[in-house]
Amino acid sequence: MRTLLFTLLSLALLNLARAQDIDLLLKGGHLIDPKNEINSRMDLAIKDGKIHQVAADIPADQSQRIIDVTGLYITPGLIDMHAHVFNGTDNDSYIANAPGSLAPDGFTFRSGVTTVVDAGSSGWRTFRQFKHQTIDHAQTRVLAFISIVGSGMYGRLEAQNVNDMDATLAAFMISNYPDDIVGVKAHHYRGSDFIPEERAVEAGKIAQVPVMVDFGEHDPMRSIKKLFLETLRPGDIFTHTYSYTTNRETVVDGDGTVKPFIFEAQDRGIIFDVGHGGGSFIWHQAVPSIEQGFLPDVISTDLHYWSMNDGLKDMTNLLSKFLCLGMALEDIISRATWKPAQVIQRTELGHLSAGAEADVAVFSVQQGNFGFIDSRNRKKTGNQKVVTELTIKGGRVMWDLNGIAAPAWDTEPLKY
Amino acid sequence: MDFFCKYLLLSWLIPIGITAQEYDLIIKNGTVIDPGNNVHKQADVAVSAGVIRLITEDIPADQGKVVVDASDLLVTPGLIDIHTHVFVGETESTFASGFSSVSPDDFTFKAGITTVVDAGTSGWRSFPKFKAQVIDRSQTRVLAFLNITGAGMIGAPEEEALADMDVQATVNMIREHPEIIVGTKIGHFRGNQWDPLERAIEAGTQAGVPMILECHLPELPLKDLLSRMRPGDIFTHTYGAVNDRTWLLDENNRIRPEVIEARQEGIYFDVGHGGGSFHYQLASPALQQGFYPDSFGTDLHRFSMNAGMKDMLNVMSKFLNLGMPLNMIIERATWRPARMILREDLGNLAQGSVADIAVLRVLEGDFGFVDSGGYRMSGDKKLTAELTVRAGKIVWDQNGLAAKNFK
Repeated sequence: MRTLLFTLLSLALLNLARAQDIDLLLKGGHLIDPKNEINSRMDLAIKDGKIHQVAADIPADQSQRIIDVTGLYITPGLIDMHAHVFNGTDNDSYIANAPGSLAPDGFTFRSGVTTVVDAGSSGWRTFRQFKHQTIDHAQTRVLAFISIVGSGMYGRLEAQNVNDMDATLAAFMISNYPDDIVGVKAHHYRGSDFIPEERAVEAGKIAQVPVMVDFGEHDPMRSIKKLFLETLRPGDIFTHTYSYTTNRETVVDGDGTVKPFIFEAQDRGIIFDVGHGGGSFIWHQAVPSIEQGFLPDVISTDLHYWSMNDGLKDMTNLLSKFLCLGMALEDIISRATWKPAQVIQRTELGHLSAGAEADVAVFSVQQGNFGFIDSRNRKKTGNQKVVTELTIKGGRVMWDLNGIAAPAWDTEPLKY
Repeated sequence: MDFFCKYLLLSWLIPIGITAQEYDLIIKNGTVIDPGNNVHKQADVAVSAGVIRLITEDIPADQGKVVVDASDLLVTPGLIDIHTHVFVGETESTFASGFSSVSPDDFTFKAGITTVVDAGTSGWRSFPKFKAQVIDRSQTRVLAFLNITGAGMIGAPEEEALADMDVQATVNMIREHPEIIVGTKIGHFRGNQWDPLERAIEAGTQAGVPMILECHLPELPLKDLLSRMRPGDIFTHTYGAVNDRTWLLDENNRIRPEVIEARQEGIYFDVGHGGGSFHYQLASPALQQGFYPDSFGTDLHRFSMNAGMKDMLNVMSKFLNLGMPLNMIIERATWRPARMILREDLGNLAQGSVADIAVLRVLEGDFGFVDSGGYRMSGDKKLTAELTVRAGKIVWDQNGLAAKNFK
């Protein structure tokens, strides 16, 4: 009899243990996980900071904590592949250790981002300062492209210094920090040759990482066709895709037609990144591109001081712009999660497979009359807007816009 | 011929253009709420050369270079956040020149704010660095309370060193920067001496400015703190169920008599929400008893920006849903804080004043708002910033109200 009681008791305890198995359960949402080809109504369970399970109906009594996300979208935490977050106080500098770069945590979680990739603010010589100053203190996961220029993106003057563009030393720094550095950046060069791009590719070959090119300022203008078909390798990244300036060749010609070699380049494996920024997203380029089937591979912000309060604003506003351009939500999410994870060769990120780090975003899609401005202050109107309701990083709630994870103060016991 | 035609056309157009477009910006059809001038009516606002030129009914649209339709929106003075920590820098784990502070422009304009007051992150010794590092390069107008500790908020124990609390040096620095420094502050002190508070008050008296009192003075009783404050001094973290100070309410949830008395004496009560200083348990009964805040200081810093606080409009929305009248909320986000810091040039839309303007929307829907204890209050209204104008320049335009259409 006693044995039976003991057995029953142990079974009950076992059940209890099973009942408490999950730390956090997101219930009732529509889950989009492009890597695992899920785009349907699913529950998501988190345990010990990891994704525990994705299934159609996970019983609520198995979890210590439940968040009702009915009517909302659950996605992997977003990856913003192009941002500038080497915040510092050097007022002479453009974006390296400067106020022009932003402290990441104030922008990421409120727009569903759990990983940002700094796009070359630091160079092979200044990366360690960036690491100590920003990366090691941010709650956001901060990865980096390092500039092929040793001083990073300090200024336009420094960006012309080919003597400071060292493939060997850049590759050496990457090999010292493989957890943080994901690629090499070439940028803001005004010469008539391709030296920064070539050296960046050389470093990329040694370190086996991709190159990102900001091809904005050559004088005279250089051919992007040559860049795509000769200089860059498949997997290398062209950013500021929808830019329209006097000194960078555009992807759409004067008649509003996407240049044929753009498709050829994309087929070859060149990665086209949005990199919206303060001056690099123009409706006149983006609208015909999307209409003619030239979609960006990666949707990223180019977040910095001059874009944060401008047409860009933040990652969710940018996602909303692509909804406004007619892209499907799942195609947009894929370009801000699994695709950038693959591009930066960090395939442990950007998806919701069991065992993955529990980086999760929960969005609502609001209906209404909205306006979205481009880098020339032109407005396109839309009737949908993405809003970040909840952001979870490593299983922890980092942002909760409307308190969907919080108990009600007037009906539940207060524990101050 | 073609050239001639164009020339003729231009010569006609240019003079018309000059007379027609008298204003840089006209905000039309909004509900203007300007408590400092007792204005609450539907009107148009015209701006040029960075100042308010005219507020009246029906200013012709063709007189503006940029015309914004603010139908169904509120047009108010740019909001003033009287309690922030924006002395951002590279020092790990401090507020003074450290990571715990945040850059003002990252958070202000998107919340309709055009002026922030830093609440004593710097002291007389570190203020010049704060000015060069943040104030001079921010688009937001950054004003400051000066910490009575010379080094500012560098953390214990240095921040609490009596030897660094110098009245004369504090007064001198305030006199050197009267356009920026608006008061003194005492924040963190765990001793039982009254010297820090007395020195902060003495410096304020000598310089003719108010003092802001943060509540991290666990050994000093609330009643005595309030009785030592002068009329015009500011008490912050008002609605915090904090463990290092007596709460606003007594055991029966009544406002303590010494608090009511202090308000009658002219002491101001700021929200100072922060990461840990706003609780519905206190705020709800306090508002039911008519104890409204005088200002909506957010106590913006690294640890409040992503928590229940979020931004000043979110804090104001909490009070809107707690039943505080909208008019009163706008007054206490604009004109009253301007008066509290003795800057009556700000926080109102008088003709000729600097064109700091917020265009706000009251959203209707199902919203939730979280307090510092992690508890949610549901609400059906929420304030958002559609457009923010700082010195005549559009610095935030959420939905492109001021933008031309593509195509």
